[in-house]
Amino acid sequence: MRISNFGFKISLMAKNNLRAVGIILIACVCGWFVMELEILGVRALSPYFGSAVFVVMGSVVGVFLLSLSAGYMLGGWFSQKADSPGILGSGIIAAGLWLFVMPAFIELVCDGMYNIGLDEKWGSLLAAVILFGVPTVLLGTVTPTAVRWLTNQVSDSGLNAGVVLAFSTAASFAGCVVTAFYLVLVSMRQTLRVSGIVLMVLGLVVLLQAITRGGKDAGR
Amino acid sequence: MREDRKMRKVVLYTLICVGVFCQLPAICAAFDSEWGRLIYQKDSLYHRILVYKNGSVVTLRFGRQPAVQVQSQVDLNNLRRDMLSYTKLAFCGLLYQEQPKRVLVLGLGGGVIPRKMHNYFPATVIDVAEIDPEILKTAEQFFGFREDDKLRVHIADGRMFIRELLRKGPAEKYDIIVLDAFNSDYIPFHLMTKEFLEQVKGVLAEDGVVVANVFQNNRLFDAELATFLAVFGRCQVFVDENPSTNAMLVSPGPKGQTLAVDEAVSRARTLKHKVDFSFDMVGVASRLRPNIKPEANIKVLTDDRAPVNQLRTQQRRKSP
Repeated sequence: MRISNFGFKISLMAKNNLRAVGIILIACVCGWFVMELEILGVRALSPYFGSAVFVVMGSVVGVFLLSLSAGYMLGGWFSQKADSPGILGSGIIAAGLWLFVMPAFIELVCDGMYNIGLDEKWGSLLAAVILFGVPTVLLGTVTPTAVRWLTNQVSDSGLNAGVVLAFSTAASFAGCVVTAFYLVLVSMRQTLRVSGIVLMVLGLVVLLQAITRGGKDAGR
Repeated sequence: MREDRKMRKVVLYTLICVGVFCQLPAICAAFDSEWGRLIYQKDSLYHRILVYKNGSVVTLRFGRQPAVQVQSQVDLNNLRRDMLSYTKLAFCGLLYQEQPKRVLVLGLGGGVIPRKMHNYFPATVIDVAEIDPEILKTAEQFFGFREDDKLRVHIADGRMFIRELLRKGPAEKYDIIVLDAFNSDYIPFHLMTKEFLEQVKGVLAEDGVVVANVFQNNRLFDAELATFLAVFGRCQVFVDENPSTNAMLVSPGPKGQTLAVDEAVSRARTLKHKVDFSFDMVGVASRLRPNIKPEANIKVLTDDRAPVNQLRTQQRRKSP
């Protein structure tokens, strides 16, 4: 009797751990793509706005920080909703779709900035907002939601926040370095498209989990 | 008491060591021998500008690493003297376009190429695009460079400058365009791609010529040659005597013509009677290698894919 009870506990823990690993993995994948997109963003804009370090770099990095800030806020709000897995899954799919189609719009948007009379400073800033704002906001919503999903009792909340931030930021580091050192050697557009597909698949998995589990305790 | 004195000694020696350590760069600089004494240094937004002086010869370098090549060198007692062999090669465009009315140079450095071009053709309008305002100040302060109403420097990224010209619409185009905005350890990829060269073509006169300063010993050379061929259809190469250094890629506009070596030499012979060159133009013409082909499997550089800094570190299979 006691033994079988213990066995049940173990299986519950394993199940919970698997779920926790899954949630952290989602945060990691999104962390990776945020920085990959940031590095490719600098590369994508410099043919149009020049290699003046303080212009394109400043615009892109600034827009990413602002978008992440908005994403965190939005993610915190989503995490309180009953069907947060559904929302998050759809968000990740949308971000993936954005990345997938973005290559077709880079030239249009960047040339458009000059056509409406902006210089390379405000032009690159606005172009960065238009091109990278939406996917970064969406990817930013993942972190707070992941923290919420991991947290079953208030006393764990700080630990869970720490774990999620640590892993997703480490993944961001990896995404940053791998992109800057290696992915720039291949086609930027191709990289963006493949990344978009990966994100869409991830979002779909989250969404399917949400549907099959029917809401509240889903995630993975 | 004794302990106290010992302590003081230790503190004193430590302070001396720290002091010497802090001054180490300045001390080393005083002994920089190859180009003389370091007389000026400035960290600009883009470069570490170092100016050396040895007698009347001033040298411009970006950074102190031994592998970094000399950017520019001028003899202030004799501004006509040719110090670096690549500068004379940069005038090979004149073999294709003898009487340029308008010249565009991307990249100023010490200002040697635009200054000489201005001396040879005083009536020609010469525009220079240089991204770093500190380079212009340095060229004026140390390298005998002067702007005037025919020779103008625009502080702008080369690609942005050309783009702006295209946006302003069909003004007069350039007869010679010299692309020299590269240094040996960093290459701005957006000034090498097909898309960029298409824009260059847009401001080039139909019978004009584009001259690009490149390095001939790495695979970036093949990629650039392939890109020039893709955009202009034709590209000829002038190689430096020293195979580990520069080469010039030359592409004539749609109404210009390519040259055979003997044609180039005979044009140089006529040209040297008209213009008082400081160097041997016939010698430059003889450096023409008309039939260099890029490596077969090299890819054209595009805005989408331009691994320039990686190609730069890969040795070319054979020198042209």
